[in-house]
Amino acid sequence: MSRLEAKKPPLFISEPLTKDAVSQSLSLLSGLLKSCYGPAGRLKQLHNGVGGYVCTTSQSSAIFSRLSVSHPILRVLTASVQNHVSRFSDCGLFTAILCCSLIENFKSLSIASCTVIKISKHLLSLCMDYLKSEVCGCRVSVDFCSLETLRCLVHSILTSKPACMLNKPEVDHLTTLILKAFMFTVPCHVETNAVLGKCIIVPVKGRRVLDSTVLPGVLIETPEIQLAKPLTVKRSCSNMIKIALFCVSMSGDLFNPEEGTMTVHHGISLEMSELNQLLNVGKQLVSDEVGLVVCQKVIHPSLKQYLKENHIVAVDRAGLSLMEPLSQMTGSKPIGSIHSVSPSSYGSLKDVCIESFASKHFVHLIPNDTVVCSLILCNRNETAWDELKRACETAEHVLQLTIKEPLALLGGGCTETHLASYIRHKSCSLSTSTFKDIDCSQTQYQLVADGFCRSLESVACSLNHDDGEILTDVVYGHCWFVPSGFPSVSNLSDLVSKCGCGINGNSGNLNWRLLQGQFGSPIIQGCPKEPSGKVADFLTLDCFAAKCSGLQVALETANLILDLSYVIEDQN
Amino acid sequence: LRRDFTTYCPAGGDLRAVLVPEPLRPPLTAPGVEFVVDSEGQYQASLRWSSSRTEALMKHLQRNNVKLLLSSVKQEEVIIYYAKLYGVSVVECLSSEEMALIREITGVSPYASFGDDIHREITETAVAAFCEPLLLGSQRCVHVGFTSVCTFQPHCLILCGPVDGVNELHAAALHGAFTMLQQLFKRVDQREECRAEATEKQLTIEDIFCNTNRVSERQLKTHKGETEVQIVDPDLQGSDSPACVQTNLQILSNPTSHIKEFSVATEGDGSSRDIQKLCAKCERLGDSHENCKSNSLVANQKNYSTAASAVDNAIVITACERLDVGKDLEKTTCNIVPFKHGKSCVSIAQNYSNILIEAGSVLPVGGYFEILLHYYIQHYAKQFQQSEVTVISNVVADALLSIPKALYRTTEQNSFTKFYLKAINALRKNQPLPMTEKGLESVYCKYQLVISVLHCVTELLSIDLVIGVKRPLQKIEDNDSEDDF
Repeated sequence: MSRLEAKKPPLFISEPLTKDAVSQSLSLLSGLLKSCYGPAGRLKQLHNGVGGYVCTTSQSSAIFSRLSVSHPILRVLTASVQNHVSRFSDCGLFTAILCCSLIENFKSLSIASCTVIKISKHLLSLCMDYLKSEVCGCRVSVDFCSLETLRCLVHSILTSKPACMLNKPEVDHLTTLILKAFMFTVPCHVETNAVLGKCIIVPVKGRRVLDSTVLPGVLIETPEIQLAKPLTVKRSCSNMIKIALFCVSMSGDLFNPEEGTMTVHHGISLEMSELNQLLNVGKQLVSDEVGLVVCQKVIHPSLKQYLKENHIVAVDRAGLSLMEPLSQMTGSKPIGSIHSVSPSSYGSLKDVCIESFASKHFVHLIPNDTVVCSLILCNRNETAWDELKRACETAEHVLQLTIKEPLALLGGGCTETHLASYIRHKSCSLSTSTFKDIDCSQTQYQLVADGFCRSLESVACSLNHDDGEILTDVVYGHCWFVPSGFPSVSNLSDLVSKCGCGINGNSGNLNWRLLQGQFGSPIIQGCPKEPSGKVADFLTLDCFAAKCSGLQVALETANLILDLSYVIEDQN
Repeated sequence: LRRDFTTYCPAGGDLRAVLVPEPLRPPLTAPGVEFVVDSEGQYQASLRWSSSRTEALMKHLQRNNVKLLLSSVKQEEVIIYYAKLYGVSVVECLSSEEMALIREITGVSPYASFGDDIHREITETAVAAFCEPLLLGSQRCVHVGFTSVCTFQPHCLILCGPVDGVNELHAAALHGAFTMLQQLFKRVDQREECRAEATEKQLTIEDIFCNTNRVSERQLKTHKGETEVQIVDPDLQGSDSPACVQTNLQILSNPTSHIKEFSVATEGDGSSRDIQKLCAKCERLGDSHENCKSNSLVANQKNYSTAASAVDNAIVITACERLDVGKDLEKTTCNIVPFKHGKSCVSIAQNYSNILIEAGSVLPVGGYFEILLHYYIQHYAKQFQQSEVTVISNVVADALLSIPKALYRTTEQNSFTKFYLKAINALRKNQPLPMTEKGLESVYCKYQLVISVLHCVTELLSIDLVIGVKRPLQKIEDNDSEDDF
């Protein structure tokens, strides 16, 4: 008889945000995330203390997937950010830092949380309307006819991940490769439904980043192929290579019988029978003039030998993940039967050759239409390679999102400070009917708007990890960084040359003020202007879709957490 | 469908789909069947046969314009291969709930293999206008536009939220709202069959979305059809109670408004003493507005029953409102006109049902239901001479106030007292209640809720001993007769 253990009563926490433990965990998490943010962010090493895999990173996706957060309130936050990252790949830290900051700022106001939520929702709608409007001063449109803006986007993503350990030439090289790979995946001939191809990242660890390269088509690792012999592939009449793609095992293993019994008479070998059938398939492939056979699973050595004798290149163990790109690239249908192979399932290739990187050998399948390409990604060690892979995937995803919505936001903290000055300006000029609709007083609205702006500005501030000052100007509302070590008495305008995103230069009287320390006395100012021209060659840009979603997710999650008045945790 | 295609073949225009409950590849053996292999050639021939049968089946499906297989099980590679070859999309591993829903929407039965007769026409196919992949957030889904054979058009509601847990909460709240809407069109009247019939008529989803006038008309018709059994007849009320007519005149600024009538209390269950008690209380909630006369009703009731001498005071709350969803809610006015229709004699408890909750009856939110019930129960308690009933009535009446108390606790202090005094004063003066809230709640749901609560309370109060046991309670089988002890 099993013993019954007495059930523990559920843990009941009322007003969780007022508890010290929660506040401490929240500020700890907030501090941790802030320290990771931006190109100068500090790295975090995650390991479990008993050895094994170590992760060095500053990316939110890597941190959140490995960090176990104990408090339910923080779990809501991390789950929200992870959902955002799974959809947009980018702006995870922005979302998390902003969310923490909003919670801390709103919590310190002595206004009922339902009022705070109503006001903050209104503020969010002001922000979103502004970001989506033509007059928005913190966004640029992306021109796909030139590479310049796209380079800025990819460049900003790579430089904001310091754990990739890249120097400037390496960043430039990878930016080019990522853009090249993205261009490959855009189909040349667009019909009604344009579908982007796929970029497959092939790992080569232990080599210089500058050895990375992009190749059209698919690379399949084949340890057994000898480099010495040149690859001779049979071509069909139109000089194409016919490819047969098998998703079913060709190992000759017995087909798994259903329920019921199978009686085999003495002297009959089903294995031989299976192998004969495989060789029959081989004969058909020969007579159909197939030049290359790729199998997802294992090919029987005898069949391999037979195919080789007949000048057919056989590649096995291609793996499930390659099947879809292979099928897409060659137009072949993965064959799921060894009893009848329809000639209509074959696809075609332009060429097949052998490539080798470091100590690895690959069969390189070169297609006619290059919607599928391979990015051979090198980095010195495994941890840095993993971080670089995440960065490349993010960049690829951001480019895909940008092609849907060809806009980008100014990076380097400028969007945050610009949006904050816009909200400060806008919240002073709202009509009384707005306050009536929200059911709040003007003072309450001002307080919440100020908390909201301070949260946005604190995200910009967390880009700064040294002791330097952060300024904002009254004209454009951009963000300016002053290097540390300057005496506080010096004139602010002598210390800065360009703003965070690089669009504005120090053109004299921009009326700077310190971003930190000004809290509590918001300056009444006009609507921030759109920048007149650009100074730097390289702008720091952020993905429009990802940042907009990040702003929304951060505010909605903060509201959700502010609204929690009880946490009831089952302890059984 | 919250899963991706196993294989997707783009297809334009109308297409047919087949539900597959089992592996499609013809098996060589089956449970209890022995497959004897005499020679290698025979074995290979069998496998070839199995494979060619699969191909023939897919060809057959293609000829019948079947372009989608919805399978509840995982199919073998060979099936997927031939499906792709013949332009048939496949979705695998559908849950039994999804299969059941598709069956209900389309009215088709799952595909049954035809044995040897492979060329028989496939009749059980569902028609779909389209079938395509859909990206929701980061999840790939299958989007099928089934042509419905039911009275409703299948549609999906996509809920977005920052975290899954929040979405689950929202989904649960939405289900709650749907249940409420279904309950809203239930009503309480004399005969169970009538109610069931009426409910069925009005429960279709169409009704919820169709315009109010139609609903109202239908409700009226239903009532007219039942005048023989219903003591309260809408027509009679209209003509015979002066208070109601007056209210009509006051409110009829909006010509489409429809006067509805419902009562707070209803029939008893018969089996439960407490519910009867409640009903009795509710029945007797009457007050003394002597100016309201309804002679015809009294006459009707006198015909109906004469034996017992219980005072049956009915309170009818006449609410004038439109049920347009999302429209003119602010204009909704609610006038409370209590009236008394004299003494009438009722023979048995079940016959209290001369008062009914009309389908679609609603009250503004914000504790008005509770305050009304509280008011009338108190009133009833005063009239009644037996002290026990008075005490219990007052307990119930006061307990009802805990709801508005909780509602007004979060806002300013003492706002409950203000609300209470305002409402009670208005009731005493026979004035419309001061309404500020925009929301409405279903009277039928409230009625069910009060009954459930009283039931539960009675049960709890009837327990005199709680016995703790150390092992899990086993369900005692029915066949454990007394002989076993």
